[in-house]
Amino acid sequence: MLRFTRLAAVAGPSIVALALAGCAPLSVNSYLERGADVSRYRSYAWAENGAFATGDPRLDNNRFFTQRIEDAVDMQLAARGFAKTNTDAADVLLHIHARMDQRLDTTDIDRIDGRCLDNECRPEVYDTGTLMVDFMDRRTNRLAWRGWAERSFDGVIDDQKWMETTIDKTVARILERLPRQQ
Amino acid sequence: MRQITRATIVLTAGLLLTGCATLRVSSHTDRGLVWSKYQTFEWGPADALPVGDPRLDKDPFFQDHVEGAIEKAMTTHGFARSVGTERPDVLIHYHANVMERLDVDQIDRGNGSCATTDCQPRVTRYEAGTLVVDIVDAASNVLIWRGWAQGSLDGVLGNRDRLRRRIDESVRQMFETLPPVR
Repeated sequence: MLRFTRLAAVAGPSIVALALAGCAPLSVNSYLERGADVSRYRSYAWAENGAFATGDPRLDNNRFFTQRIEDAVDMQLAARGFAKTNTDAADVLLHIHARMDQRLDTTDIDRIDGRCLDNECRPEVYDTGTLMVDFMDRRTNRLAWRGWAERSFDGVIDDQKWMETTIDKTVARILERLPRQQ
Repeated sequence: MRQITRATIVLTAGLLLTGCATLRVSSHTDRGLVWSKYQTFEWGPADALPVGDPRLDKDPFFQDHVEGAIEKAMTTHGFARSVGTERPDVLIHYHANVMERLDVDQIDRGNGSCATTDCQPRVTRYEAGTLVVDIVDAASNVLIWRGWAQGSLDGVLGNRDRLRRRIDESVRQMFETLPPVR
């Protein structure tokens, strides 16, 4: 099961408001806990479900969203040789966090020079989605690794196939940053 | 240097936005599901998610019209209300959410006219309403369809007639995305 918690918003990329998510920059980052040896992990389980707060009523308690993320992570980890086990036998417990935000972008307009960088000359608002995957060491119950990605989600939720494709690609990019097993 | 000045962004509320006045509907579903096995429905327990606006909380007018519109839509799509102690095939949940969102007003360059007197883009604040309807398999308690409608509530919440029309149109359009049931 998945757990959703609030995610602090981070600065968004500059995009056109109705740009497709595929055209918008994808920002991917990760954090490795000092001293954590993620490369020795071989097995995982999903942590218990917790409170939902995605920031978008279309996604709260939406299994079509959460299950797709979980399936995408399962697929990526299986390809990396991880075994999915029960909670008691797992090296790590996985948590997923997701958060939708609306951003305002005004960087296209150069007001000092009184001109625009292009002919549109208008601020843009757009939706962003942040997806985060946490690896919690089951024995220490401490965060060992965290990977996250932020990208435009404009129009994505309203198109189920597009949402699924976006999730698959985003999860793959996040887990690319997971240290390889020894 | 790119700079946002006070003149650049003027936050107002109003009905001048054409973009946010549009009703957007969509849904997620379990593709491949055999819908014909579901015949009867009943209301499930209300969720505990916040509405986000006290004007809709425990508003019997709103609740009655939403429930009436959904029951009508379910009947139109071939479902029957479960009778007496008969166990329904599906349970219905709905959730309403109101949140503040931003939009950029429209400059009609094609007609050479502007939505604003000084022809500058304006970022405006508006109340976005989302009505989410869930259809849950009663036997497994698994979500099999989620539909939603989103649109600006400016000028709607304070006008019962507009609110009723908005509810009817939201539910009607949302249920048009339901897969063929019969």
